[in-house]
Amino acid sequence: MTENTALPNMTSMFAATSSLVSMQPKLEVRNLNFRYGDFQALKSIGMDIPEKKVTAIIGPSGCGKSTLLRVFNRIYAVYPGQRADGEVLLDGEDILDVGYPLHGLRSKVGMVFQKPVPFPMTIFENIAWGIRHHERLSKADMAARVEQALRRAALWDEVKDKLKRNALGLSGGQQQRLCIARSIALKPEVLLLDEPTSALDPIATGRIEQLIEELKRDYTLVIVTHNMQQAARVSDRTAFMYLGELVEFDDTERIFTKPAKQQTEDYISGRFG
Amino acid sequence: MSSIPATIATENADRRSRVDARHDVWFRRLLKVCALLVLAALLGAALSTLWGGREVLLGHGLHFLTSDAWNPVTNDYGAWAPIFGTLVTSLIALILAVPTAFGIALFLTEIAPAWLRGPVAMAIELLASIPSIIYGMWGLFVFVPFMASIEPGLSEMLGRIPLFGKLFQGPPIGLGLLTAGIVLAVMILPFICSVMREVFQTVPNRLKESSYALGSTTWEVVWDIVLPYTRSAVIGGIFLGLGRALGETMAVTFVLGNAYDITASLLMPGTSISSSIANEFNEAVGTHRSALIALGFLLFVVTFVVLLVSRLMLRQLARREGA
Repeated sequence: MTENTALPNMTSMFAATSSLVSMQPKLEVRNLNFRYGDFQALKSIGMDIPEKKVTAIIGPSGCGKSTLLRVFNRIYAVYPGQRADGEVLLDGEDILDVGYPLHGLRSKVGMVFQKPVPFPMTIFENIAWGIRHHERLSKADMAARVEQALRRAALWDEVKDKLKRNALGLSGGQQQRLCIARSIALKPEVLLLDEPTSALDPIATGRIEQLIEELKRDYTLVIVTHNMQQAARVSDRTAFMYLGELVEFDDTERIFTKPAKQQTEDYISGRFG
Repeated sequence: MSSIPATIATENADRRSRVDARHDVWFRRLLKVCALLVLAALLGAALSTLWGGREVLLGHGLHFLTSDAWNPVTNDYGAWAPIFGTLVTSLIALILAVPTAFGIALFLTEIAPAWLRGPVAMAIELLASIPSIIYGMWGLFVFVPFMASIEPGLSEMLGRIPLFGKLFQGPPIGLGLLTAGIVLAVMILPFICSVMREVFQTVPNRLKESSYALGSTTWEVVWDIVLPYTRSAVIGGIFLGLGRALGETMAVTFVLGNAYDITASLLMPGTSISSSIANEFNEAVGTHRSALIALGFLLFVVTFVVLLVSRLMLRQLARREGA
């Protein structure tokens, strides 16, 4: 509660907010601009993403929420003509700096995509393949590591007897959990989830959300979602974006009950988007 | 009141559906005929070469397959030298063309900037449309003298390596298996390359993105994700090229040297099935002619076996991946 005394204008109602904000942020975004060719998709974004919390990014289609997420592991760099400028500090180091090793960044910041994309190999290899890019493990260690990742993603019991089968045979929900397992097998610090449940049925979605809840004990999670209920259910902090700008970023509870901006309220209440 | 038009309507609909059903039957038959035509053509070509070559195939028996003699004067024929030449030149062509085509296709789909992709892809298509007689002339007048000038150096350098060196010993005349293999490589490169380029483009971006997101290098993404994903089409493209290499006639005839010899050296002249036929058909009569047709039949068999092996390989690979 020392934070409250430091910020006397805040009522005790938002005690949780201040305690979150005061923590050393995992990711600090400073004046971030992003361009696809001539089109400016992000306009001077600034935000602090707290460690070991779930941060949701919401907003209508084309608002730049996925683009923002794709900056955090520099996956956009795969394509020529996409440029980001500004600063994104991961534990204080600027990941947009050309000298920042991409290889290391991608092992620290994992990403799960909208549609589950198992690699065309066995279930075991799907997990082991990524690990091999970063570590040399003995056979036994690798098996243990794969099992651990699958357990962590709540998939082990369903696949332990068919690790040698092709991953394309799994159901959509299982495939998505496999993708999560694949990312956490690298022991990342941040996990980016780009609409991870939009291609899944409600039961599979429920399992993924439950998993997110468990994962935030160890990881910093950032989730992009077009499903506001989902943002409200799983996240601690919520950012609302509109037309490439960050409109509001606050505690999830606050965003959904008492947003500061009219635009946020209109979006939350379904008046547009 | 409305019952009369209703019956008419039903009758119309009945007639309509009867006509539709008849059309469908005829359409299906037509399609079946088209498909059967392919089989008939294949079977016809195979049988007529088998029939034309019956004298030698029956008369010489297994000797025709295993002997490397080819003597029109004594009417002693063996197909081993042409088969050997065909296989060796095609193998050289594949060894050279596949990695190069792979590199070009990857560069075009993964690395090249957008403005460069179109022109280079177009150039490859153009390369594919050059008639083989042009390759033959270029081979004979330009490439053979060039090979003749570098072959002494080649034997000097590589010829000294034990075992492997045997491949590169011989007279530096420019003509020979290696030269033919290289010309073939240039000829089949565009086929393999355009198939590869096209199938590499079908790999979904999200698949590549999710592998890059695990910290993979471009090479790892290409080798472990793009290639397995497109494997059957890539192998199909390679065999399309191999099919062309096995049967290629004019270009090979120009630069192969036409000698019925089997040597360890790639610098020595040799012969291939199709170039033997092209060279000798004009003056062949009787048994000689029969021997050439039998050679043609063997080309069928060789191609068929190669295709079969590729199918089996594909199935083996699929099993290993747990599909």
